[in-house]
Amino acid sequence: MRTLNLFGAEGRMMYWSLRRYMFNTVAMVVVLFLIFMGMFWGVKTIGGSGVTGDSLDSMLVGYILWVSAMLALGNTGSEILGESQRGTLEQLYLSPLGAHKIFFFRALVNILFNFIIMTIMLYLSMAATGRWMSVNLLYLYGMVLLSTLSLVGISFMMGGLGLIHKKISSVNGILSFGLIGLMLLPTYPMTPYAFLPFIAGAAAVRNSIVQGASFPAWWYLFIAGNSIFYLALGLAVFKKMETKAKKLNKMSQY
Amino acid sequence: MQQNCIQVKNLSKTYADLTAVNNISFDVRAGEILGILGPNGSGKTTTLKSILGLIEFDEGTIEINGLSIRKKRSEILKNVGAVLEGARNIYWHLTPMENLTYFAGIRGIPRKDITDRAQYLLESLELADVANKEIRQFSAGMKQKCALACAFIHDPSILLLDEPTLGLDVEITRTIMEWLVDVVDKEGKTILITSHNMDFVESICQRILIIRKGEIISHETVKSLKEKFARKHFIIDLETEPHQTLLDSISSLGTLSTGNNSLKIELETVDYLIPLMRALDESGIKMLNFRSVENDLEDIFLEVIRGEHNENA
Repeated sequence: MRTLNLFGAEGRMMYWSLRRYMFNTVAMVVVLFLIFMGMFWGVKTIGGSGVTGDSLDSMLVGYILWVSAMLALGNTGSEILGESQRGTLEQLYLSPLGAHKIFFFRALVNILFNFIIMTIMLYLSMAATGRWMSVNLLYLYGMVLLSTLSLVGISFMMGGLGLIHKKISSVNGILSFGLIGLMLLPTYPMTPYAFLPFIAGAAAVRNSIVQGASFPAWWYLFIAGNSIFYLALGLAVFKKMETKAKKLNKMSQY
Repeated sequence: MQQNCIQVKNLSKTYADLTAVNNISFDVRAGEILGILGPNGSGKTTTLKSILGLIEFDEGTIEINGLSIRKKRSEILKNVGAVLEGARNIYWHLTPMENLTYFAGIRGIPRKDITDRAQYLLESLELADVANKEIRQFSAGMKQKCALACAFIHDPSILLLDEPTLGLDVEITRTIMEWLVDVVDKEGKTILITSHNMDFVESICQRILIIRKGEIISHETVKSLKEKFARKHFIIDLETEPHQTLLDSISSLGTLSTGNNSLKIELETVDYLIPLMRALDESGIKMLNFRSVENDLEDIFLEVIRGEHNENA
């Protein structure tokens, strides 16, 4: 129950921030709408009437995967940096529930909020262009959420580094670019690349939605295990770094 | 006999080659306000943050309500609030009400459970009228009052305040001071406070801990500290500037300074009062006014710090 209240607090914080910075929120929604419209019109214009829905589905799935991955990967690190700069980080550390839970739920709220916004924009774009798609959004978002948990774990590692070294945006940039390349690697049936974070889940989503491929239950369990492993590893590293930051009294310094 | 709320035993913390806190021990009793005084870099903030578990200390133990901060930090934090120095403590882009709701939320408390408490805090800190305005627009004093409200939202029994009046004007400092005293009286809170503001500390603290270079050099009640270091300065206004003969005759009685047709003397002992009066009478200079001034806490603090410094030299 207490954890649920924490989730609610993070949800409200996002809502208040979006409302307070209305101009930024509107700009974000407009940009997203333009991206979706661009995807729909682009495919239609370039491909003409011969283009099947697959191209659009593929582009859309790729986009949602990419945005979610970037959000999950950068969230905790940038949040810790922001809190540290703002001077509120230590207050979060006074929560009896633990700062790691706050940052975890903040990442989750961020990803879920983007799902909602992307869904709204997607339907608006479909209505505007008159081109309707058949993507199973529930499956897509479910799988994306499951896979991105591993990246949330990596983000916690970055956040831990951020507690001590503060500015780590360059490392985040390297990881983001690296991830794009890694997402093209084959993972099924069980290549060594499948053990990397996110890759197996992302490939499963792409192949099942775009190519209609189906996977056995154990593969989904493997993806879930992969996510849980990296999330647990990330949290462990974060806690270790947190202890080090407390030893060096780096928690309040930026 | 009051129970000890916070017990610090043999606390030590070293950063590389700097000893921030060196084997200090003290306790804070339930329902009291304990002040920590000390010059910059004396270890006040390190001590406070060690108690909060925001700094990993090297040696010693810290117990709050009988629980070890190292082993039961989560349990302890349910009952502790803090306002930290040099930090914003709150979100300036939110309103006071939103901040209160958020800080209750991250402690696992639902919004519906804090409505009355939030209203009480906003009203008692004179923030009710601005409860829904963005904090960014507030003065430093109002921001600090918001931070105090947030630290109190979960109704903790212990509050740790690091320089809560730093940079605030006299009026706001007084408001905060009165509010804290009221909170201790009505709600029985225990407060540990660090401050450079001697008047503030003197007005609200029952006991004072003076630390220097990470070590406790005095740990007494305000009353006993003042009694121990009580010195009476006498200020004597004269009709003319005191002449050398007068100064020579009284120089052995205590520490002397002159200026603007007046004499300021701190007697070695009150027994010297009669020889002083006699010397003044014999000087032939008309005395216009004679008054005594007691040492205030600032004088005492400086004396303790300097005394310790001289002993170490």
